[in-house]
Amino acid sequence: MISVHTRLKVIDNSGGKEIMCIRVLGTNRKYATLGDVIIGVVKNAVPNMPVKKSDVVRAVVVRIKKTINRKNFFSVRFDDNAAVIIGSDGNPKGTRIFGPVARELRDKNFSKIASLAQEVV
Amino acid sequence: MVIKTQICNFSGFKVYPGHGSTFVRGDGKTFVFANSKCKSSFHMRRKPANLNWTYLYRRLNKKGQLEEEKKRVKRRSVKTVQKPVEGASIEVLRAKRQTQRPEVRTAARSAALKEIKARQQQARARGKNT
Repeated sequence: MISVHTRLKVIDNSGGKEIMCIRVLGTNRKYATLGDVIIGVVKNAVPNMPVKKSDVVRAVVVRIKKTINRKNFFSVRFDDNAAVIIGSDGNPKGTRIFGPVARELRDKNFSKIASLAQEVV
Repeated sequence: MVIKTQICNFSGFKVYPGHGSTFVRGDGKTFVFANSKCKSSFHMRRKPANLNWTYLYRRLNKKGQLEEEKKRVKRRSVKTVQKPVEGASIEVLRAKRQTQRPEVRTAARSAALKEIKARQQQARARGKNT
């Protein structure tokens, strides 16, 4: 459940450290879940990198704290809320992704992010 | 039909589909929990070895018949069957096993060595004489 004002950890090497959600993309969407695209503002950034503080970026939600029920009747939840910054074409801006990501990304056509990730859970 | 089950990381119970939940830690390690009791106990950092209803505690303190069942499964005798190898029938193989035992073979070897030595000595004696 990612809503406006939720802060998410950025887990790629694009330069952002933390983003705040300012919009969930989709018609009348209140909350974003795994694999959803959000618009965020960079709150914390690494110096001398392409993504700067107070940049407005697109990002995909890759880990959420809220429990999700899978179709194989098992439920999964993560330790934190995390996102990966993407361009307008849907490709990630960074070249590496740290930590586990959810399998739901593959179903939503973010297979590049899933393949870059260290672990797909 | 085999139902795909998982095993609870905290209690050791079986987790059937539709029950329990999985937790993925920041470092990527996954934990499966059978119920909310296991889940909350894990997040409270309780140790399963100290709770008397977990599988780990019962195993450590030798409760119930869990151990005996395991041992019974292990003791299964293996029967050896003599089979003919291609080209050689069982009778030939058995005969070879009888004649080619280590004791028989060493005895034969020592006898042969003695014979050779005797022959060499004879030859040497003949050479000295001439």
